[in-house]
Amino acid sequence: MGDEKNTTNTSVSGTTASGSISGIRRSSRTASRKPKKDQILPGLGILVLIVISGFALSFISKTLAFFWITGNVFGFVLQKTRFCFTASMRDPYLTGGTNLTKSVLAALAITTLGFTAIKYGAFINGMPIPGQGFVVPVSLATVLGGLIFGIGMVIAGGCASGTLMRVGEGFVMQILSLVFFIAGSLWAAHDYGWWQLNVIMKGKAVFLPDVFGWFGAVTIQLLIIAFLWIAADKWGKRKAEQSH
Amino acid sequence: MKEVELDCLGEACPVPLVKAQKKLAELEIGDILIVQIDHSCAMKNLPEWARTDGHNVEVEEVGDGEWDVIIEKVK
Repeated sequence: MGDEKNTTNTSVSGTTASGSISGIRRSSRTASRKPKKDQILPGLGILVLIVISGFALSFISKTLAFFWITGNVFGFVLQKTRFCFTASMRDPYLTGGTNLTKSVLAALAITTLGFTAIKYGAFINGMPIPGQGFVVPVSLATVLGGLIFGIGMVIAGGCASGTLMRVGEGFVMQILSLVFFIAGSLWAAHDYGWWQLNVIMKGKAVFLPDVFGWFGAVTIQLLIIAFLWIAADKWGKRKAEQSH
Repeated sequence: MKEVELDCLGEACPVPLVKAQKKLAELEIGDILIVQIDHSCAMKNLPEWARTDGHNVEVEEVGDGEWDVIIEKVK
C-alpha cells in the first residue's frame, strides 16, 4: 500500500511539539503543523455581503430574500453541527453509531408538529391548506427511487444538502459530485413529465389527516418516530456493548 | 510499538472510516494509527467509531479543514 508510511518509534511522552498536552504519545509530524490563517476578517466580510445581498434580493422579491436567508442559515447549521443525512442512514450499519439517526428523527418530529400547526391553522380558519401540492402519490416507484438515491449518496459521499455544504466548505472532490448531481437533476427534470404520467400518477396520494383525522395523524406519525428513535437507541447501545 | 500514518486526504466519507477499520485490525495493541482526513464528515464518524470500539482517540486540526485522528489501539 503506497498511501502510508511507517515512522520509527521515537515517542516523546506527554507533550507534543506544539505544547499541547496529549494523552496519546506520538512522535511525528506535530512540528510540521501548518500555520493557521486568521479567518475572522474574511468571515465578517462574507457576513456583510450576505446581509447586503439579502436586502438587494428583497427589492426584487420578498420570497427570494427569504429563501436566501433560510438557505444561508440552513447551511450554517449543517456545517457547524456536522449534520449528515447520509451518515444518519449509514452509520448504524457501519459504525454502530446512532446519534445522527436520532437527531434526524428528532428533527422529523419537530417538523411534524410545525407543519401540522401551519396546516391545521389554515384548515380551521377556512383557508386553503398550504403545501398540499406536495402530497404526492406513493408507490413502488418511491421505494425504488429511494434505493437508487441511497446507493448514489453513499458513493458520492453525501446527499444533496451534504454535497452542497461540503463544496462550500472547500472539499474539492465533491465538486465532481455536484457536477453530476446537477446533470442528474436536469436529466430527471427533463423526463419528469413522462414519469409523472406513466409511473407516479399510478400510485395513490395519501394525506394522513384525511384518513386518521388531524389528531390521529399527528399521534400516529409521532408514535412511529418514537418507535424508530427507541429502536435506534437500543441498536446503538447494543453495538457499543458488542465491541467491548 | 509503532506509529502508522494513513493518508485519507481527499477521500469522501465513509472511505476513511473503512480504511481505518481495516488498518487498525492489522495493528497490534499499543500501536498508534494516525489517520489524516479532510472530509468533515469523517472527522465525526471516525472518532465516534473508534471510541465506541474502546480505543483512545484524539482529534487534532492540523490545518484549515484538515485533521489528524490519532487512535491508540488498546485491545
